[in-house]
Amino acid sequence: MSMEYFSGLTESAEIVNSLGMLTESMRITFAAVMIMAMISFAIFMIGMYINLKKWGLGSEGYGLKPSNGSILTFPKTLAYQMSAKGHGHGQNIFVTLILDALLQRRALKRSPGRWLMHIAIFGGWIALCIMSVAMFVVEIIHMVGIHIISPEVFREMLSFPNDVFSYILLFGIIVAIFRRLFVTKARESTIAFDSVLLIGLTIIVVTGFIADGIRNGTFWGMGMQSDLAPPASLFHVVISLFFCIAYIPFSKYMHMIAGPLTLMANKGGE
Amino acid sequence: MKGEPSINTNNLTAVQLMELDACVRCGECVNWCPTYDAANKDPGLAPRDKILRWRQFMNKSYGLRARLFGPKAIPEEDIEQFKDDVYKCTTCGMCATVCEVGINTIELWESMRANLVKRGNGPYGKQGMFVKLIGEYMNPYMADNKDRLSWIPDDVKIADKAEILYFGGCTAELRQQKLAFATARVLNHLGIEFTMLGEDEVCCCSALVRTGQYEIEDIARKAARKNVDGIVAKGAKKVLYACAGCYRTSLVDWPRLLNEEMPFEIIHITEFLEDLIKEGKLEWKKPFDNLTVTYHDPCHLGRHVGVYNPPRSVLNAIPGINLKEMDRIKENQRCCGAGGGVKAGVPDLALGVAETRVQDALAKNPDILSSACPFCKRNLSDGRDSLGADELVVEDVIVLTAEALGISLDDCVES
Repeated sequence: MSMEYFSGLTESAEIVNSLGMLTESMRITFAAVMIMAMISFAIFMIGMYINLKKWGLGSEGYGLKPSNGSILTFPKTLAYQMSAKGHGHGQNIFVTLILDALLQRRALKRSPGRWLMHIAIFGGWIALCIMSVAMFVVEIIHMVGIHIISPEVFREMLSFPNDVFSYILLFGIIVAIFRRLFVTKARESTIAFDSVLLIGLTIIVVTGFIADGIRNGTFWGMGMQSDLAPPASLFHVVISLFFCIAYIPFSKYMHMIAGPLTLMANKGGE
Repeated sequence: MKGEPSINTNNLTAVQLMELDACVRCGECVNWCPTYDAANKDPGLAPRDKILRWRQFMNKSYGLRARLFGPKAIPEEDIEQFKDDVYKCTTCGMCATVCEVGINTIELWESMRANLVKRGNGPYGKQGMFVKLIGEYMNPYMADNKDRLSWIPDDVKIADKAEILYFGGCTAELRQQKLAFATARVLNHLGIEFTMLGEDEVCCCSALVRTGQYEIEDIARKAARKNVDGIVAKGAKKVLYACAGCYRTSLVDWPRLLNEEMPFEIIHITEFLEDLIKEGKLEWKKPFDNLTVTYHDPCHLGRHVGVYNPPRSVLNAIPGINLKEMDRIKENQRCCGAGGGVKAGVPDLALGVAETRVQDALAKNPDILSSACPFCKRNLSDGRDSLGADELVVEDVIVLTAEALGISLDDCVES
């Protein structure tokens, strides 16, 4: 498991860089990323378990007694509610998932500006997440000896869409920060619960751009020290795994899961 | 030893507990909340902040930290403050309509209220009287239930049994009898044979459900049972309602309370009339003299169950009426302020919301502000009086229908 994570540096001989920052222990490897991903996923699962237990303290229907906190209570209640008759409301689940969860029609109806900000963050985040998972899968396939496509080639293929969606995400984040800072209503109502989410996303995007720039030796026209690529990548990967996976159940990021579930439970809402 | 959580999850479903985590605090609900506006933008009344506070209560009691180190105590005054805030809501559902993730806030507020009632915090102010009044008198007006029949004029024919039953409701039968007069006479005029429950009718218990008191002494369930059994015994297949509150409660809450489908069709009188108008069965004998009417959607008829067009179809069909819509209508309508027990519990707040809604209407210079709910009529009338807009008539759609059909209601004396 010593396969080196592809960071743009192919020679592994250079253990300590000119700044003395890079040590062997810091060199990012596939195994290291794998372990961090597993830890993040484990924290995510623990968080989801706690949330399911918490939700499971509710009843299975209106007017019924509270349940005992079983993790099965929520899915059973959700399934029951989705199949129950709606009164004047209610739409097909596919309409709900595509128009309301994916395209966020309800937000568009109320505030096109806020919708644009959110769809940029959502679209950019989802696309980058999918591409990261795809890259991960290609590396695994390659590692077990199935040579369909080399990770290096695949990474180059993803380079352009990666850039596009990174800028889309960046745009959304800049609008969100602007809104939280300069729109009075939004600023006055902002609490730590909201700020943490935005700060997390900002760090991920900024470190992503820096890591990518270092790997390519150039960042928005500025020359970068390529030998810093592994630790920069490592930092970006760690922070991304932390915010984008592990931290979800414990923060406002939870709305990414609870939002679509709510839309499904209420048949698209009123 | 770990302490006990300060709150419990009584009356909240697993889905509702999940919904607390779905709120993104976008603030859209705050932009539209009528009681938040009428209370000088009291932050405690903002729907998203109520969700935030209950989520914090849940996490302090059952979250990660609570699991590791035991629940964190929530000061009793925080819970009391929360109770005050969650009861200063008309449960109009505007926050649910604009919620970007579709949280069913109407049910959420009602479940929180029921939870707080069981905990000993709720209800609010005079709302606590509903249990005693409905339990003892079977109506919230302390009236003898036999008085439900006293409004019926000699000319009105009510069959002992019929396929159509008119469920009058406490307010129309005991306070706003003109509404019951109009409904009964319109049905007679159209040759529709109908029956009523009379003194066997019991309050629909909307007030108990809306204020979270429906489980106390099992009054609401028993009332629903008595009404449903009575309706079945009358041989009714269709039940007509001229009260939006009774209509919503029968349609949504009775099946839940009894855990069974209703064995009859539940129809609002405007839906019934709309069908008859389409069939050409209404002959307008006394057209209005070119009056401008604006229509206020009752929350219980509109947003709660989606009946928006039938009242408009009826008004549009009446000759001499020019229907002029307010800016906020249908799913974006602004509440009249009476619902959710606010009229009884926080009358000043109810009046403040009503004034704003009447101003919405006055902006269109109407002769008549019409609605299809006796509670809306009552509160909008109060709002009009408070504003001194004496020239504005507030009247129900069915009363306007009766008048346009040439039916006299002059002999009606309201309590």
